[in-house]
Parts: sequence; structure tokens; C-alpha cells
Amino acid sequence: MNEELDSQLSAMFDDELASGECELLARRLSRDADLKARWERYAVIAAAIRAERGVRLNARVARRVSVIVGSEPEFAGLAAPRRAPRRWARPAAGAAVAAGVAAVSILWLRGQAPPTTVSVAPPLAAVATVRVTTPAVAPAPSPRPGGSDSYVVPPAARGAAAVVPATELANYVVAHSMFSPPMARRNLLSSFMTSEPGEAGAIPVSTNGAQDPPRDAQSNPQ
Amino acid sequence: MGADASDLSLVRRVQRGDKGAFDALVLKYQHKLVKLVMRYVRNPAEAEDIAQEAFIKAYRALPQFRGDSAFYTWLYRIAINTAKNAVVSRDRSPIEYSIDRSNEESYEMQGRMKDSETPEALVLTDEIRSIVNAAIDALPEDLRTAIVLRELEGLSYEEIAAAMDCPVGTVRSRIFRAREAIDRRLREVFEGGLGRTEELG
Repeated sequence: MNEELDSQLSAMFDDELASGECELLARRLSRDADLKARWERYAVIAAAIRAERGVRLNARVARRVSVIVGSEPEFAGLAAPRRAPRRWARPAAGAAVAAGVAAVSILWLRGQAPPTTVSVAPPLAAVATVRVTTPAVAPAPSPRPGGSDSYVVPPAARGAAAVVPATELANYVVAHSMFSPPMARRNLLSSFMTSEPGEAGAIPVSTNGAQDPPRDAQSNPQ
Repeated sequence: MGADASDLSLVRRVQRGDKGAFDALVLKYQHKLVKLVMRYVRNPAEAEDIAQEAFIKAYRALPQFRGDSAFYTWLYRIAINTAKNAVVSRDRSPIEYSIDRSNEESYEMQGRMKDSETPEALVLTDEIRSIVNAAIDALPEDLRTAIVLRELEGLSYEEIAAAMDCPVGTVRSRIFRAREAIDRRLREVFEGGLGRTEELG
């Protein structure tokens, strides 16, 4: 028997061995009968020195427990549930992330365009813009006499990429349908269909990515 | 040096399915646990039965052990509860710490359990104790002081090093050499039998 190993075993018995060494020695201890016998003798010596009255130093508790534990089911099966969720959680989390990215992309795309289509009247654009910047509190601004800063969105932004065709969005959703739940997909598609302004074939989008109320706006003649 | 690192490394192995590591934990703590249970029951054989039951309960509960407390603290609580329950149920009916009787090996082992109740077993305990005491008396002073401070006073290596005014490494070496000297005496007397429980008795 290696003296250094025995010395480590003695220190491990006293909880005075570094945890890294403990890991290695614990593996060996659980398999090596000689080492385990030495470990037991260390325990007997400790009990004898403490003169534990009434305690029999040749107690068979360990042997009996070992036999019973030997017939117990393995812990590997009991420990498995901790890791089990990861197996299904990983693809589910991936799908959720992908669906989230798709949803954010759609909202972002919708947010890149000015608040209305070309066909929408200026007062309607003003209402939509105000809703985005000050959602609940601010009242709709009335056009100033000068008329130059009666809206928030600069004119240049209105001219560029004003609309995103509903068909493109629908195609996008269909193309990424594997990453989104069926209910959400159906809702989005039905939303496109109902929000489509007919002859224009396009959905009005706002500048800030907030949800537009196109139907409200169109139904509200002002 | 992590306190309880030794036990924790064994516990982690058990949790990963290594039953042999649990043997090491039982070997280490069986005497302490029997002594603890003997606060509640006076009969050593009954105390061993209760300690055995506590170990089995601990084994079954080990997957839930997270290491928030020291393993022995956790085991201590299980043993106390088991002993209290045993005392209560003993008052109502005779305690039966039966091992699964359908298991022939276990049933046979129950018969062998009676061996430890024989006077020979008690004599053996006394003999072991006297050998250990004689071996300690024969130790050089520094080794004897180190092992006694460790086992009797429960001091850590660092505390012993401070008490003996020597490095911690020297303490570790002295305790190991003391144990080896005592162990050598035990093995000489029992011809290698001690520590191999199946050959005992």
C-alpha cells in the first residue's frame, strides 16, 4: 500500500484533505476493498479512543446496511429527472426564441414605415403619431397655424419605404411558420387579411414599431 | 481544505449511483450513530438496529441532500427522529426492523445479527479497546498528543498545529503515523481480520 495514499486517506478521514484530492480518493475508496478496510479500522480506532460506552466496535451495522443498500434501486434513475427537462426544453427554448425574433422582426418592419400610406389623409397621420409618442395621456395635437411642425415624423421619413405589402409579411410568417405556434400564426395571418386595405394591398405601419390602429383610423372619418 | 469535503465527495458519488461510497460513509459514522441512538435506547443491539434504519432512510433520502448542511448533521437529525419514533412505537408494539424477508440473503443475515449480541462480541470490543489504548500508550509523545487532540478533543489540524507549535503538514503526518502504529497492533492481534467485517465474530 502506498504510504502517501494512506496518508491522504487519514487526512480525508479527518476532513482535512483538499476537495480535489477527496474526489479522486473517494472514487478509489468506494472500489478498493483494502482501502475501505483501512478506513474502517481508522473508524474503530477513533471509537476506541473516544471510549464510547456501550458501542460495540465490531458492530455489524455497516455490513447490514451494505446488503440492504445493495438491493435498493440505483440513484441514477432518481437523479435523471433533474436533467430530463433539458432534453425537451432546449428545442422548445430554441423555437420560442425563433418565434420571438420573428415577431420582433415583423413589428420592427412595420415600425420602419411612416404612420400611414400615401392615401391616408394628414390628420389621420397626426393622430397615429401622437398615439405612439404619448400613448395615453397626450391629447391629439391640433395643427398649428404655421403648419410646419404639426407632426412628429419628418417628411423625409414618410417618403422612404412607406409601406410593407401584406403579402410579403404573410410570406414571411409562412416561411417562418415552423418557429411559431399554430395559434399565433393563424392570428397573424388573419390579422393581415382583416387589416389589408383592399385596393392598396398594403398595411399602414407606424414609425415607432408600436401597433397601429389602421382599422380604427380608417373607420374614423374625422 | 473544505470542511465536510470528504463526506461531500462521497455523498456526490452515492448520488451518482456509486453504492460503495455509501459503505464508506456508514463505516465512518456507524459508531457515532450507535452512540447517539443509545441516548434513547439502552440496549446496544436495539441501538444498532435503529442506527441501521437511520442509515437506510438517509440513503433513500440522499438524492434530496443538497449539501446545505454537513452530511453528519443531516444524518444526525435522521437518526434522532428514527430513534424517537422507535421509542414511541416500541411502547405500542414490539419493534420489527425486518429486512425484506423475501430476500433470502437478507433473511439469513438477520440470523447472523444475533451473533453481535453474544458475550464473545462484547469481549471482542473490550479487547479492541485495550489494544488501542496500549498502542496509544506506546506511541512517542508527539504522535500520542496529536492523535488524542484529534480524536478525543476533536480539534482540527490547524488547531492542533497551533497547540503543538508545528506546521499543519507535520500534524497530518503525526496523526497518520499514530494511526498506522495503532492499526499495526490491531492487525497483529487479529491477523488482518479487523476491517473485514465478514470475517469478524
